[in-house]
Amino acid sequence: MNQAETALWWARARAAGPQRIPPGGPTPAGMLRLPEPDGSGAWLLPVLPDSASAAVLDELGLPGHVLEHPNDTARVLAACVRCCWADPAGPLWPGVAAPWEQVAAAFMAIVGREEAVSHRALLAGVRRLARSGWLLWDEGAPAIRLGPRVAAWNAAQLSTLREMCRSMPSAGGEVPGHPA
Amino acid sequence: MTTLTGMNPIFEPVLAELSERHRDEVMSAFAAVEHSPEPVPEAQLLALRDATLRRSLDDLLHRVGRTLVPIGTSWTSGYRDEVAAELARAGWHSLPAIDRAVLVLVLIHSVAIPRSRGTLQGDTWTSGQPTMASELLEASRLQPTDVRIALGHLRAAGLVQLAPQRAGSGQSAAYLPGPQLHRLSVAARRRLQEELILAAAPSSPVAAAIRARRDRPGAA
Repeated sequence: MNQAETALWWARARAAGPQRIPPGGPTPAGMLRLPEPDGSGAWLLPVLPDSASAAVLDELGLPGHVLEHPNDTARVLAACVRCCWADPAGPLWPGVAAPWEQVAAAFMAIVGREEAVSHRALLAGVRRLARSGWLLWDEGAPAIRLGPRVAAWNAAQLSTLREMCRSMPSAGGEVPGHPA
Repeated sequence: MTTLTGMNPIFEPVLAELSERHRDEVMSAFAAVEHSPEPVPEAQLLALRDATLRRSLDDLLHRVGRTLVPIGTSWTSGYRDEVAAELARAGWHSLPAIDRAVLVLVLIHSVAIPRSRGTLQGDTWTSGQPTMASELLEASRLQPTDVRIALGHLRAAGLVQLAPQRAGSGQSAAYLPGPQLHRLSVAARRRLQEELILAAAPSSPVAAAIRARRDRPGAA
């Protein structure tokens, strides 16, 4: 693949997040190829060095993007990680598909709000995260998967996440190792 | 082969020519212009102030389909013109049609109309002239629910932002073009202006001149 084609793949990913491609074919320079578990295709994920990531904005004292409902969005992602990370000793991607009800129960155990309010927040959060490639979910689908973006978390970040995941309540409301 | 921890094959050829300190400066500037929602003042980063390092930064951006865009004494990044043209040629749109329609309405009210009246100078697509929610909801043929959903998407993408409310005005929400509009290159800003003229006044002499120029071989 030449430089112009590589630049185009990076531009597509910049505009619309990780790109799904058919099996086979070359991988553009600087991108990770993440095969789907069923072999139906793969995702191309741009990988930036830590020194060029969005986290650098903090170090430079520059403002970052203002997320809509950042707390609820983070809680929705946390509930999905809790339900889709089948084996927290292993890698996060591709994880497993979790039924909507299971994610909803995990989310409610985290936020502890009235069901109707929680459901609205969950639906809005899942839509936001699916639009940006953090989750794989088609509108109305009965199950949710983690999106390819989670594969960009490095070993140190995963290690922190693993610790946090252990203390998060699951669908039943119990914390692993601490039965309710 | 790209891994999360190894050298990045796309940046390494450019960075290999720099000292360790200059590599850090260039990478910080790359992060700043690519991720910051607003243009970054050049006083803040050496790789934006220094012409040689800025060339290395532009080389890095070039490899991922991007380029530096100057805004006064600040800098941001945007798509290279030929990359944007190639994506558009392939029918590649990252926004649904309804979102694009609402964005165009905000650009008409906040930029095109003030510019035609002479109250907005230059070729920028950002503006301090608010578009009232009523202009989006009542003066268009779009459904109000669709407009509200589209505004949510556009705000999340930084293409539209809420205008600061004047104290005690009691007005409904108002919108401004978002900071992402700074990322348009000179050619992209001109193309947007021309497309609006072609759509709004197709039989005007200006529109005829635009069509004639585009029909000439080798014209953009």
